Amino acid sequence: MLRLKWRIAALKNGLQDATAYRIEFLLQLIGSAGVPALIQWLLWYAIFKIGGQTEVAGMSYTDLLAYTWMSVLFSQVRGGDHDFALMEMIRSGGLSNYLLRPVSPVEFVYIRGVAEKLFVAGICLVIGMIASFAVGLNPLHLLGAMILALLGNIIHYQLGAMIATLAFLWEEAYAILMVKNMVVQILSGELIPLNLFPANMQWVWKMTPFYLYVYGPTQFALGRWNLTEFGNAILIACAWIVFFTVGIKVTWKFGIKRYLSLGG
Amino acid sequence: MNRTLTKYFRVFFIQLKNNFVREAVYRSNLFTMLFVDIIWIAVEFSLFGVIYANTPTLAGWTQPQVYFFLGIFFASDALFTTFFQRNFWNFSDLVNKGELDILLTKPIHPLFLALTRWMNITAIFNLFFGIAIAIRYAEPAGFSGGMRWALLPGWLAVGVLTAIVVRFAFSIWIFWTERSFALSRMYYQFFALATKPDALYPGWVRYVILTFLPFAFIGSVPARALIHGLEMREFLTIVFVLSGFFIFDLFFWKKGLKRYQSASS
Amino acid sequence: MSEIVIQVDNVRRSFTSTQKGEGLKGTVELLFNPKVKSHDALKGVSFKIESGAFVGLIGANGAGKTTLLKILSGLIPPSSGEATVLGQKPFDRSLSFRHQISLVMGQKAQLWWDLPAVDAFDLLKAIYEIPDAVYRERIDTLAELLDVKRLMQTQIRRLSLGERMKMELIGALIHWPKVIFLDEPTIGLDVLAAHKLREFLRVFNQKEKATIILTSHNMDDIERLCSRVMIMKTGELIFDGDPNQLTKKGECRLRIRFMEKKSIEELSALSGVPADHIEAETTSETTSEGEDSNDSGAALPTAFFNIQRTEATKVLQSIMSKTSIIDMGIEETSLEKVIQRIYEGEPAGLVERK
Repeated sequence: MLRLKWRIAALKNGLQDATAYRIEFLLQLIGSAGVPALIQWLLWYAIFKIGGQTEVAGMSYTDLLAYTWMSVLFSQVRGGDHDFALMEMIRSGGLSNYLLRPVSPVEFVYIRGVAEKLFVAGICLVIGMIASFAVGLNPLHLLGAMILALLGNIIHYQLGAMIATLAFLWEEAYAILMVKNMVVQILSGELIPLNLFPANMQWVWKMTPFYLYVYGPTQFALGRWNLTEFGNAILIACAWIVFFTVGIKVTWKFGIKRYLSLGG
Repeated sequence: MNRTLTKYFRVFFIQLKNNFVREAVYRSNLFTMLFVDIIWIAVEFSLFGVIYANTPTLAGWTQPQVYFFLGIFFASDALFTTFFQRNFWNFSDLVNKGELDILLTKPIHPLFLALTRWMNITAIFNLFFGIAIAIRYAEPAGFSGGMRWALLPGWLAVGVLTAIVVRFAFSIWIFWTERSFALSRMYYQFFALATKPDALYPGWVRYVILTFLPFAFIGSVPARALIHGLEMREFLTIVFVLSGFFIFDLFFWKKGLKRYQSASS
Repeated sequence: MSEIVIQVDNVRRSFTSTQKGEGLKGTVELLFNPKVKSHDALKGVSFKIESGAFVGLIGANGAGKTTLLKILSGLIPPSSGEATVLGQKPFDRSLSFRHQISLVMGQKAQLWWDLPAVDAFDLLKAIYEIPDAVYRERIDTLAELLDVKRLMQTQIRRLSLGERMKMELIGALIHWPKVIFLDEPTIGLDVLAAHKLREFLRVFNQKEKATIILTSHNMDDIERLCSRVMIMKTGELIFDGDPNQLTKKGECRLRIRFMEKKSIEELSALSGVPADHIEAETTSETTSEGEDSNDSGAALPTAFFNIQRTEATKVLQSIMSKTSIIDMGIEETSLEKVIQRIYEGEPAGLVERK
């Protein structure tokens, strides 16, 4: 149980760091939530109000707007840039400081970075549950959705951490992390509901774990997924986590060897 | 006057040469960054691809028209990335690390030196890539082409100029706050508004991106101007807004310098 | 020869620092309703410097040296008073002014990290519009003098700190400035590198007759290079003259601790040393070098005699024949020591004002 101590300390430290400048934190939050939502909304506006469509992929204007508002809650929880921090540590040699400590650097960086997201997740959960209740959705679904979104957050970091180990080999893994984030942007459902994909392209998002970040939680929270679909998603998320845990162990082992042999 | 101009051109070309030499050393890095930009445009393409799979037009814009717009936007952004982007990221060093001191003692405008120092010449490939996209979709987009292609450099210049003056307005606060990073990030959040044709936006948003935050001038208005032409009123707005920003930037640059000179010790 | 290039009349400079609140709110406040605190960095400084002079400017941190250099190089205006450099007001920063001066800050690099020095000099050549032939000749001369010819094609980042500083100097001198401001050029350099740099500055000053003002915390810099030293303390010029006047060759400082307090006159009678060469101290914080100020002696009266080294024995004998002493010692009056005493607040007796 002693091992819990540093984890809590790291969480606390990360949260303090993220919220040290409260107004900036708030502006940042509003900006990163508002702008994507605005862009989604204007797409639906253009299709329905200007273009005169009444239905897109079986969804009405209201359906799409509901998706937009709900997805904002979960897109705030996804990601974080601590995989970049990990890469920077490897690249600049800052990792050496951590290797001497009795904590896993991969986990330390994650916990410190996720603190902010947990805080945001808490806020989103409260807002979401109240909103769900107000419009007649099941607030418990929102709770489940948020758990799925948090699992997604872990997957996202794990994938990033695995990519970051490339920095052991090349000097720079920055570009690949950027590419990953951009792919995630479209395949997570943050920009558009994934069921808008043409039928013959649906497999594209289904084969990545990214839809578990935003699209999945949003669908479940809106009652568009039943419990079976949700349960499947949770299982799939866990499978990905196991997969990446092993993946990181392997790549990290190889990477560290190289790091140490090069003298950092 | 002529001599001054020669001097500025010379300095610019030497900065260009020096950056080229620098990049040659770190080639692999820069190519991966090129790749990032290409993926970025690919994401934008697929986004619209998905949308157009569900609807034939978007606020009157057909799919080829949007792709034409993306090409123009990508080209204009590539120009900004090539010549200016990094200088703005390094703007804070200018003040916080006192690099401005050295610049101020040189017999040349300090802003000119500061804004031409860092380039990313490899990104120029994306300019050609963007133009290639525009050419590919020009005809289906209804752009009459021919001699009208001659207007393209002018519109790209408008796009870059807009990015410069707006980005500058977001950077200049470094004289007053050490954490200008948050503002730079905000610029990029708003910048997302530039990635869609302005016709899509509902009234007031459209008004904002055509005036106070003229992100529409970066790609959307140029693309629209090439396809449909603009009304006189819109030309005047562009001139008015850009000169407004220019004056704003200059005013705060001067005020910032004054503050720098009274606060630094 | 004695043309005045720098004239400073009663220059004052105060800084207003705004107190910034936290976060963006603080920033907004800063813009519209700043809370201002001001402090004086320069409190009325006046001097003249002749063409070709090599002047050392010293003082503790915060004494106002850098402020003065910034005013002289035109980075900041004086709050009041007037500074004239090369017949111009520096803060106007006219093109011709900027063509004729150079500012080197030991801690701030202007050269490109990833490029060889030649490429950076290329840029300076264009900025200062130096003709090709002249440029090549100057580069040759400077590289020769500083012994860095073989390093011109090496990336700056691969150079040692000393070599990098040499390159910075070449960059700063490539336009043959008439007035050069050097802010701690030898900072961080090892003894050998600092020595080489000094040699270069000395030669450059003699050959090219450029006026140089140098600040440094390294007294070797001042002793070896400067024919004139200005000492600043909390914004005031407290000494301006020949550095040798401060150390007076062959002089030493005899420190004696007595059993009981004696007046200067008594001390003069005891020792035969003129009264104005004696300083007495009775305060508990006897801030002599401190190596032997034990607790019991700390409150005892101490006197300092500034005398010729050859007289030391004679003076000591004279005193010991008439009274008993507890402790004595001889302190070297190296420039470093003298300056240290000045920083620490030595009674103004020793310090001469011009």
